[in-house]
Amino acid sequence: MPHEVRMPQLGMVQDSGVIVAWLKRNGDPVRAGDPVFEVETDKATMEVEAAADGYLSGVTAAEGDDVPVGGLIAMIVEDEGDVEAAGTGASVAEPVPAPGAHAASRPDPGPERQETPALAERAMPEPVAAGRVLASPKARRLATERGIDLHLLRAQGIAEPIHVADLDAAIAVGGNSALSAVVDPTDFDELLDRSRTADRTRLLASFAAGAWRATFDASSVSVAIRGLDGSLEIVANPDRGGVGDPESPVLTLVDLCGTRIHRYASARDGLTLCVARSAAGYDLLLAFAEARLPLSNAVALVENIAARIENPLLQLL
Amino acid sequence: MTREITLSQAVNEAIAEEMRRDETVLLIGEDVAEAGTPFKVLSGLVEEFGTERVIDTPIAEPGFMGIAVGAAMTGSRPIVDLMFGDFLYLVMDQLCNQAAKTHYMSGGKLNVPLVLRTNLGATRRSAAQHSQSLHALVAHIPGLKLAMPSSAYEAKGLLKAAVRDDNPVVIFEDKLMYQDKAPVPEEEYVLALGEAAILREGSEVTLIGTSSMRQVCERAAEILEGDGIGAEVVDPRTLVPLDERTILGSVRKTSRAIVVDEGHQNFGVTAEIAARISEKAFYHLDAPVIRMGAMDVPVPFSPALEDLTVPTAEGVAANARAIVRGVPVHAP
Repeated sequence: MPHEVRMPQLGMVQDSGVIVAWLKRNGDPVRAGDPVFEVETDKATMEVEAAADGYLSGVTAAEGDDVPVGGLIAMIVEDEGDVEAAGTGASVAEPVPAPGAHAASRPDPGPERQETPALAERAMPEPVAAGRVLASPKARRLATERGIDLHLLRAQGIAEPIHVADLDAAIAVGGNSALSAVVDPTDFDELLDRSRTADRTRLLASFAAGAWRATFDASSVSVAIRGLDGSLEIVANPDRGGVGDPESPVLTLVDLCGTRIHRYASARDGLTLCVARSAAGYDLLLAFAEARLPLSNAVALVENIAARIENPLLQLL
Repeated sequence: MTREITLSQAVNEAIAEEMRRDETVLLIGEDVAEAGTPFKVLSGLVEEFGTERVIDTPIAEPGFMGIAVGAAMTGSRPIVDLMFGDFLYLVMDQLCNQAAKTHYMSGGKLNVPLVLRTNLGATRRSAAQHSQSLHALVAHIPGLKLAMPSSAYEAKGLLKAAVRDDNPVVIFEDKLMYQDKAPVPEEEYVLALGEAAILREGSEVTLIGTSSMRQVCERAAEILEGDGIGAEVVDPRTLVPLDERTILGSVRKTSRAIVVDEGHQNFGVTAEIAARISEKAFYHLDAPVIRMGAMDVPVPFSPALEDLTVPTAEGVAANARAIVRGVPVHAP
């Protein structure tokens, strides 16, 4: 059985340790009791011994790295053939794609605090590769509601356990993929004509929310409305009269009808639905990242929104 | 109008006001008359109300507790003074088997409107038998209410509510806080049993602190503010009944909670509150609920060791920082 090598707790109040030197290299044979690396705490420098016989594998912390107590830094595997290259196990040595997300979504903790969370996050103990993704209960719930696949986040290298901030980061990464659809405008135009008070953008937001709710079985759905002047408004449950507190929006709506522009998807907005009007009808365009919103979910969402515009009665049902 | 008075003065005022208001209220315990207790909380009461209503007893806790339970059943409203919370073990039968169950077992025919005032808190260099915080023992028994005042203001308002309650109510004051001052209204007020207070608002972590641990949480919140972390501080005020609505509402908002209490951590108050949060706000939690109780050892006599057994503001802040930043406090 592979044996984990973690940063030990050597002092009562120690929360991390600096790796001063590796005494074994990746792939070296080790015997239980062999000193493997040297660690410096605030009080002393000590050698840490191997707890099992085998081969040092998947070393992820470099000399000079400050690793939190409990952080996984290498494995000891039984067979030489199982040795993984350095830097391939836990994501300590290589920054994960979204490590800055925590800092970005929170108030600036000040210069002296900058380093700690980043180090702590990338040195998170790595769980087994397959099976259940470790996530906080709230993150798991929101992922379901937003149609985010936690396995895909893991595949992206986001450290587990996944927290809400990681989902926000995933949303903020935005979309490189795009799906577009053209929708027959007749019924929707008629609805707008008939009602003097109907606001097209609000109606589109409510259709998008209704489609999201139906597709992902979400209970609370906030939609951001981005204007071409840069304005951003977050509406809670637009399909239910705007009742409730606005939360992190599931998607951003850009209503481009009445302009010549047919696409504006800002990187900061993440999942974005653009609605433009052409001679053919309403042009829907969903900008999304397949790592966060799998293609099948994106298709289901666009189909549902399109169906609602084509037949607004669906929204009432 | 408010003025600053000590917790000791607040308790004294509450008892005097209730004894003036209701002549069935009486005070009983060791050194409650001329001595006014070792903490001088009751000074002046025997002079005003006389030895018929301020009753000094021998050193016999089970005896005077039993007398008080009987008096409560038959029309008096006794306030029992138990000099140290550690002596709770001596009155467990009178409190838990008699006072707590009489209303139930008499089919509602008898009430036990009794108040047991006692104390908790370590770091007074009083060693293991005079430093315990045993309120969890009381909270475990159905039929007893439990109040945990966190300053002079709560001490007065909760004690007056306890005297007026028709059930046995146990109040634990922190013996290190008797000389701490807080603003207290001059005019009369009574606090409801079962209403928590949000003392500071924040959006990233809820710190729930009972008794003097409220101050620890408030200091931790100040430290966290310096780190750019917004902490909300909630004082439950009473543990039975427990204001779940306020606690859960706060945790749903912040997604994270740390529960701090000076009782032993194992099987204690922190465990109960943490469990309720985990059960009832599970889908709102972005981090495990952290318990911070007193270390599970007899309270040491050595000052250096004693100080290590009690949660500190720095410790609370360190845990809060970790869970807000998504760093597991316990390895997953």
